[in-house]
Amino acid sequence: MYNMIRLIQNENMKIYKRLGTWVMVGLIIFVVIISGLVDKFLLSSNMEGTWQEELQYQSMELEKQINEYESMPMVGNAIKPLKEQLVINEYRIENNVPPVENETIWGFMSSLSDITSFAAVFVIVIGAGIVATEFTTGTIKLLLIRPVNRAKILLSKYIATIIFAIFMLIIMFAGSFVVGSILYGFDRLDLPYLVYSGGEVIERNMITHILSLYGLNSVDMIMMVTFAFMISTVFRNSSLAIGLSLFLMFTGQQMVMLLSEYQWVKYILFANTNLVQYISGTPLVDGMTMTFSITVLIAYFICFVFTSWIIFERRDVAA
Amino acid sequence: MKNKPIVQIKNLKKQIGKTTIIHGISLDLFPGEVFGFLGPNGAGKTTTIRMMVGLMKITEGEIFINGFSVQKNFEKAIEHVGGIIENPEMYKFLSGYDNLIHYSRMIPKIKKHKIDEIVKLVGLEKRIHEKVKTYSLGMRQRLGLAQALLHSPKLLILDEPTNGLDPAGIREIRTYIRKIAAEENITVFVSSHLLSEMQLLCDRIGIIHNGKLISVETVKNMVEEQNEVSVHFLVHPLHKAFKFIQERYPHTLSRIKGERLVLNIREEDITEYTKVIVNHGFKLSGIHGEQKTLEEKFIEITGGDLHV
Repeated sequence: MYNMIRLIQNENMKIYKRLGTWVMVGLIIFVVIISGLVDKFLLSSNMEGTWQEELQYQSMELEKQINEYESMPMVGNAIKPLKEQLVINEYRIENNVPPVENETIWGFMSSLSDITSFAAVFVIVIGAGIVATEFTTGTIKLLLIRPVNRAKILLSKYIATIIFAIFMLIIMFAGSFVVGSILYGFDRLDLPYLVYSGGEVIERNMITHILSLYGLNSVDMIMMVTFAFMISTVFRNSSLAIGLSLFLMFTGQQMVMLLSEYQWVKYILFANTNLVQYISGTPLVDGMTMTFSITVLIAYFICFVFTSWIIFERRDVAA
Repeated sequence: MKNKPIVQIKNLKKQIGKTTIIHGISLDLFPGEVFGFLGPNGAGKTTTIRMMVGLMKITEGEIFINGFSVQKNFEKAIEHVGGIIENPEMYKFLSGYDNLIHYSRMIPKIKKHKIDEIVKLVGLEKRIHEKVKTYSLGMRQRLGLAQALLHSPKLLILDEPTNGLDPAGIREIRTYIRKIAAEENITVFVSSHLLSEMQLLCDRIGIIHNGKLISVETVKNMVEEQNEVSVHFLVHPLHKAFKFIQERYPHTLSRIKGERLVLNIREEDITEYTKVIVNHGFKLSGIHGEQKTLEEKFIEITGGDLHV
């Protein structure tokens, strides 16, 4: 165990003593600040009335849409979230709970959880390079002729990558909190998050909600980083690993959309990486559940990890 | 010196795809000796070394280091090994010191002062906190040596340690190697394709060619053999003379080459042989000696495809 900590220290040293890493951290902070400014000054809604009037208007639109859908066959469960939204709107007006979407620190923080994919890009760059660059620079030779087995070395690299991912998420979370509080203050800090569950509206703590959004969004990140790590280990080529992972990350969802009429599509990784779909939104394919997706994700994860480790342990290090 | 071997290589073979690269090498190395592993490029030196340090899997045979099998007990076996495999490729974006910290973390029980000690030994005190990318090749080579010596290994493996160094750098490395072998009783296993260099550095030399270990000899023996000259006698009748010499001097290497009888003898014996040949009624119309350098001998052994 002590041994493992020292190996992780080594990998961390190799990550954080590179200038490039800090450029990435700087970029993340920059993006958070920019999106804060855009959110505050460019996208600020031109609300005319109070939030109550706004909500009532929204509810009317919703009802119209629901009626439209009900007259159509084959809409499936697209109608359910609309109905739920309607109930939540009513609850807000009755209990005087304004929505957080605009003009609050919470609204800003939850909207930023969507851009974790931006942080994912950087984490993929690190994960794709951490094994491959040792091979391309030749440092792998001196690394492997130590009294440490290869499995442990690879594990330390993987853990270091995950630590970097967490580091990036913390920077985003803390950054958006700081930027949000500067721009919007702490006015409505006690606002709850409302969920529709089992026929009634429940109030939940806002901060746990935002944390869970980050958590669910980072599932995608972890899967793609593990994928990049595998490609990097198998092909010893960081460009290939970065390119392939980013390509799949950005097009995977679309491909799944295109194929969503087929039942087998639910076994594709990208149909399952977006776990937020079970919290707010409709599952891609009928009959998909959170448990199903988590099972599929674990299966893929094991597959990626297994491949990386087997290949790394067996590899002949030549030239 | 001849006590328990530190390294035992037993019938080592390596096959990649259908090609056999190493055809059964067996070799023992002893504490405190500097062993030269000599062969032309592509003979299998690097492959053998990579199998010794576990970078490549062994197809057949076994390697024991300090009694532990490299395949079955890698961590124990490699614990006493320090090495530079080809160029000393270190993390260029880290300082020399950070590089040493990095490697020291991978070995249990290394004290900080040990690092300082090694840095002093290889003479890098002044630049150790600078980034490796600012180092010259010679300095990198010395840092490579430092990382190999960090854990006081019993066996030091150096793959082409003088590659790309200027003559001064080569001399410097040579001095270090001789020094540590003598002072710390470390076995040094050096590979090279330069015979002249090996001759100055090593106690024993093994010549590898096409994946086979052709000969293992002490440098002393090789040099002694070098005193012998191939002497060409233009003698008549040739075959009769050949037979006569074979009978009279069964230990002398003799052969017929063209119209001449060739004997491998020492310079001071030329008079004696000439006298004997003439006194026994053979006609002698010419003598000429041919000095053979170690280099030529080596080229002869390895079939001439040596890049020097």
